[in-house]
Amino acid sequence: MQEKTRSQPQVAELHAGTRYEVYEIFVQHDALQSHHHVGSVWAASPEWAIQMARENFLRRDHAVSLWAVRRADIHATAGEDRDFFAREFDRTYREVSGYADNAQRWKRFKARAMTLDEVIDDVREGNAHGSAHSGG
Amino acid sequence: MDQSRFKQFMERIERGEKIEANDWMPDDYRRLLLRLIHMHAVSEIMGAYPEKEWVPKAPSLRRKLSLMAKVQDEIGHGQLLLRVAEDLAAPLGRGRDDLMEDVIVGRVKFHNVFHMEAPSWADAGIIGWLVDGAAIMTQTALLDCSYGPYARVLKRICAEESFHMQHGESIILALAEGTEAQRQMLQEALNRWWEALLFFFGPPEVTESARKMMEYRIRYRTNEELRQKFLTRYIPRIQSVGLTIPDSRLRFDEAQQRWMYTEPDWERLGRMVRENSGPKSQERIAFRRRAHTDQAWVREALIRARAQAAV
Repeated sequence: MQEKTRSQPQVAELHAGTRYEVYEIFVQHDALQSHHHVGSVWAASPEWAIQMARENFLRRDHAVSLWAVRRADIHATAGEDRDFFAREFDRTYREVSGYADNAQRWKRFKARAMTLDEVIDDVREGNAHGSAHSGG
Repeated sequence: MDQSRFKQFMERIERGEKIEANDWMPDDYRRLLLRLIHMHAVSEIMGAYPEKEWVPKAPSLRRKLSLMAKVQDEIGHGQLLLRVAEDLAAPLGRGRDDLMEDVIVGRVKFHNVFHMEAPSWADAGIIGWLVDGAAIMTQTALLDCSYGPYARVLKRICAEESFHMQHGESIILALAEGTEAQRQMLQEALNRWWEALLFFFGPPEVTESARKMMEYRIRYRTNEELRQKFLTRYIPRIQSVGLTIPDSRLRFDEAQQRWMYTEPDWERLGRMVRENSGPKSQERIAFRRRAHTDQAWVREALIRARAQAAV
């Protein structure tokens, strides 16, 4: 038997001008990372969005900061607009991978290729305040 | 339907692109996804009930804590999934209130396993081990879903399910290592759940909507494929702890390379899900209804507080 339900007013429509809204949630896991988007919540106010976000996204993960942004306030690229992100030509000249032949050429001079990670580790060595190098 | 948009959409799907909430999508893509995700969300929430029943009765503080953590996870998963469902439902003019009301008036189905009783602590263990195990298989099979928002939420859900998996195993291992009475309790719980576990994956025939979902790359495995994977993975583990699977016809057919099993009673269990007529269906829906109506004032107060603050 299905019990007859009391008819509920739609909470979202109770008060014109104030209602539940979607907030997009951004979490910063530690001070050296940027905030990143994790999902969204539906809440009555920004304060409650932050509470809900903690319950939904930080039951295990550690974090140092949390942002809740009204979805309506976000400006974004059009979802299907592929052209905006198009790479019209080869850009490896901007990247490490574009210089892979260096290692071979150093070898001819009996020297070794060097990476930025090595330099970071070298400079950081012995600095108690530096974090262990994470490789990015 | 706009044929050229549909063609573009299918090309995106076939290139392996992910569809986002605001992208154009065919109406039946939206409706199939919405039905799937709505049921998934509601099943997470209703799935918390049989587990919550065991929190006060769990045998140790640690077990209580881990069970509560799991209940929170299930509700949390429900909320994340509801958000995904809401964005799909918005163009159809439906929101959170409607999706939740569907539960208490019986307009949305939830998984068969959550209609059933969990009379012993071993049932709580079997739910964590095998019901969650089956759910993990169906969820991982959706990780490559063509709908981006669902795929992203599933990634988070699956990460947390890995805790549930260990949690369930921990409970049944303790019982399997225990006294004769504990092993007996575990066997009885398995006997109660086996048929429901087979049913969980759905009928072996590929329905029209299942075929459509595969075409749209919402899912890429059939019910039977997933059931077979579950059997292959779990049968040896169930047997290794000394349990007997309550199906005398269960065997692996070498020629067909598949498990042969006694079919669950599709008609009876199907009716239970459709009509919410399982032993615990109405009690749990009543809990949900009470939670929904008793806390309506809280949802309202939050809005009023903000309205007043704004004055």
